[in-house]
Amino acid sequence: MTNPYTPMLILVALGAGFVIFSVGLAQIVGPKRYNRAKAEAYECGIQPSPQAAEGGRFPIKYYLTAMLFIIFDIEAVFLYPYAVAFDQLGLFTLLAMFLFLLNAFFIADAYVWKRGGFEWD
Amino acid sequence: MPTVFEAPEINWAAIAPMLVVMAGGLIGIVVEAFVPRRRRHSVQVALSVVALVLAFVALVTLTVDNRVKTLGGSVVMDGMSVFLQGSLIVFGLLGVLTMAEKFGGDRPDAFTPMGAAIPGSAYEAAADRAGLATSEVFPLALFSLSGMMMFVAAGDLITMFVALEVLSLPLYVLVGLARRRRLLSQEASLKYFLLGAFASAFFLFGSALLYGYAATTDLDGIAAAITETRPGLEPLLVPAILLVLVGLLFKVGAVPFHSWTPDAYQGAPTPVTGFMAAATKLAAFGAILRFVYVGVEGTRWSWEVGLAVIAALTMVVGAVLSVTQTDIKRLLAYSSIAHAGFILVGVLAFSTLGLRGVMFYLLAYGLMTIAAFAIVSMVRQGGTEATQLSQWAGLGQRHPILAATFGFLLLAFAGIPLTSGFTAKFAAFAPAIESGTLGVVLVVIGVLASAVTAFVYVRIIVLMYFSDATSEDVVAAEASPLTTAAVAVGAVATVVLGIVPGPVLELAAQASELIR
Amino acid sequence: MTTPLEIGAGETALFWILAPISVIAALGLLFARKSVHAALSMIVVMLIAGVFYIANEAPFVGIIQIVVYSGAVMMLFLFVVMLVGRDASDSLIETIRGQRLATVLVTLGLVALLTVVVGQVTWGGAVGLAATNTETGNVTGLAYLIFGRYVWIFEVSALLLITAAVASMVLAHRTRLAPPPNQRAWAARRFREGKHLAGLPAPGVYARHNAVDTPALLPDGSISELSVSRVLAARSQVASPERFADAQDEIEREIEEGSER
Repeated sequence: MTNPYTPMLILVALGAGFVIFSVGLAQIVGPKRYNRAKAEAYECGIQPSPQAAEGGRFPIKYYLTAMLFIIFDIEAVFLYPYAVAFDQLGLFTLLAMFLFLLNAFFIADAYVWKRGGFEWD
Repeated sequence: MPTVFEAPEINWAAIAPMLVVMAGGLIGIVVEAFVPRRRRHSVQVALSVVALVLAFVALVTLTVDNRVKTLGGSVVMDGMSVFLQGSLIVFGLLGVLTMAEKFGGDRPDAFTPMGAAIPGSAYEAAADRAGLATSEVFPLALFSLSGMMMFVAAGDLITMFVALEVLSLPLYVLVGLARRRRLLSQEASLKYFLLGAFASAFFLFGSALLYGYAATTDLDGIAAAITETRPGLEPLLVPAILLVLVGLLFKVGAVPFHSWTPDAYQGAPTPVTGFMAAATKLAAFGAILRFVYVGVEGTRWSWEVGLAVIAALTMVVGAVLSVTQTDIKRLLAYSSIAHAGFILVGVLAFSTLGLRGVMFYLLAYGLMTIAAFAIVSMVRQGGTEATQLSQWAGLGQRHPILAATFGFLLLAFAGIPLTSGFTAKFAAFAPAIESGTLGVVLVVIGVLASAVTAFVYVRIIVLMYFSDATSEDVVAAEASPLTTAAVAVGAVATVVLGIVPGPVLELAAQASELIR
Repeated sequence: MTTPLEIGAGETALFWILAPISVIAALGLLFARKSVHAALSMIVVMLIAGVFYIANEAPFVGIIQIVVYSGAVMMLFLFVVMLVGRDASDSLIETIRGQRLATVLVTLGLVALLTVVVGQVTWGGAVGLAATNTETGNVTGLAYLIFGRYVWIFEVSALLLITAAVASMVLAHRTRLAPPPNQRAWAARRFREGKHLAGLPAPGVYARHNAVDTPALLPDGSISELSVSRVLAARSQVASPERFADAQDEIEREIEEGSER
């Protein structure tokens, strides 16, 4: 039996090789005419403002988005083994999974939704 | 690992109380989503009370006759679980009553209208005028309570850990939601959260080492592994046990893991302080009892002395530092640390009588604590809580009944005869004396520490009755029947458990059996 | 019952390469001055932990470690870094004297104790791992456990997730107290007050810059104070427009020079 990680290693090697090849090739064959406009953050030429509002801090409402994303992520972690072994787990687990999603997904998100957590203004 | 899927057997009657409390919390979240703002508070209070009463009914009708290990060993409903879960439901009920207190206003008095508002900002004032209220505290309290009920009945370390988190996470939030002195409250919440996460890490590390030793996380499996020999793995055992104990002792506030206690108790909204002082302590001691008595008693000689040192330190530090406090909430926090030490003495008796004593102590202590903090929340100066001790001077002349009740509760904390505190201390210390020299030493330290704390409490009583008031506008707020009921239940229970403790002691004795 | 532990050459090499990197990254997490660097170090630690899980024949846990921790949890960390400000750094002043020294001593003591203790242990091989991974299947075996023996914890973990959602709403979401004024309401108010009927002037738009912090220029070349928010002015965060005009000339010159080269 071949090692199941061989394809993964090949993929990593291919990815690394592509990066090294393209960056290296650009170094060799690309024209080198530098000016300050090329070194800037945005190609459109617009300079970034020295500091974002609030002294470089972001509003707290991003936190809610991040937290909801993590909750989805953890639900997905449980869904994956359920999906893999679905045919052997039976009605009991179907109900268990339904109850889990009712609590962690539907009730939680109904609350966030009705309280305006998804509105962005 | 199993090779075919097997659904675990579920004894619904045994887990019914926990399910009812959890369902109450979940319905509470639905209420938060769909019920109009004006009616949320009354709906939440009614829902919480109904859920807790139903849970208690389920406990005494269904669960008592179903003392089993169920759900594959995750839940162990033995006598101890039933007794402690019953106590927890009572604490939860009293806690909800005090949290619902409005003191004549139009919304719960203790909680901020908007937790996300910057303290002191114009938005906060606008939210206050708009009549907003954080009625999420009730479902959060129910979630926390369900975690505690799981915690005392957890049959393996993984369930214990998840229960620990379920009970802690809502408490971290509740601590940060005080209406007044919000920066202090938020600081308390952050401290409690960071140190709690730290303690959870210790618990997990210890559990991992124990799993490495025993190849199972079930407490009975660990006990079996200890009686066999595990060649090559023996060095793991003692550090693993100590690390798990660190995680659990943090929750009871034992020295040297107590540093969060005064800050969290002081910053939290006072009803939450009362609830968490009573219920968290009981739940954590339930878990300690189960871990120590069921899981690792086989190797007791190797860690017993360490736990005894912690118990002695806890009693001494809690008692001595309570002398220097000038804030009533911090003083009660240090008093709760000292009490954790007294209860640990009972745990170290390692006998059925010790188990009975500890359970009785936890119930008695919880009832008086909730009542004491409810009284603290009533004493006001200029609309805010008067927590400085100097503000309490002369309270006995203006509010004799309130001061007398508080004084009586303080005497119970001190363990004066004819209060439940005395019976509890006796029930916890007597088995410790029988257990051997170590127990006798600990009891001597405990009695000395009690004398020190008694001095502190008597000083407060003297302050309330025999000092002149520093300012005339310190008054007791007009409490609604909710707080009055909580205080009355706590005080009456303290009297009854002090004068006729027989029935409850008998109940605790019947409940002193553990399913291994 | 237990077979002696055998570790292949490949795994040994993997360990001795990655473990030091992991330790260095963990130390970087402790000692990095900037919070972003600390977060990046933590990503390295988590990725390597994921690789180790996979090397220990727990591929599902390894992938979850990378997806959930290096992905989602680190994203939350970076969000928090953004919330507190990218340039914010901890105050290194001790509030309680001797605290740092005590921490170092206690930590080293704990590390020494655990090293000595764990070093004395002789480990057996894994029991039943090969059978589970080849016959039952790694993920299927986990599914049997999660939805079988540990189904109670699986259900209860929903309470943790819902608590997380409620807590982040309670602590981070500001309810709107009144409906936001719409365009019509704004227009009505302007006309009622009779000032700036056509709206306030927009902030400056220059060839190489447009942002709310840069004021517009009036026909006589002076700055229009009305075109920037009063809040920015109060915080002295208003940029001066001259430098954008100067920078523009300079860049144009450089581009000309560059294309002549």
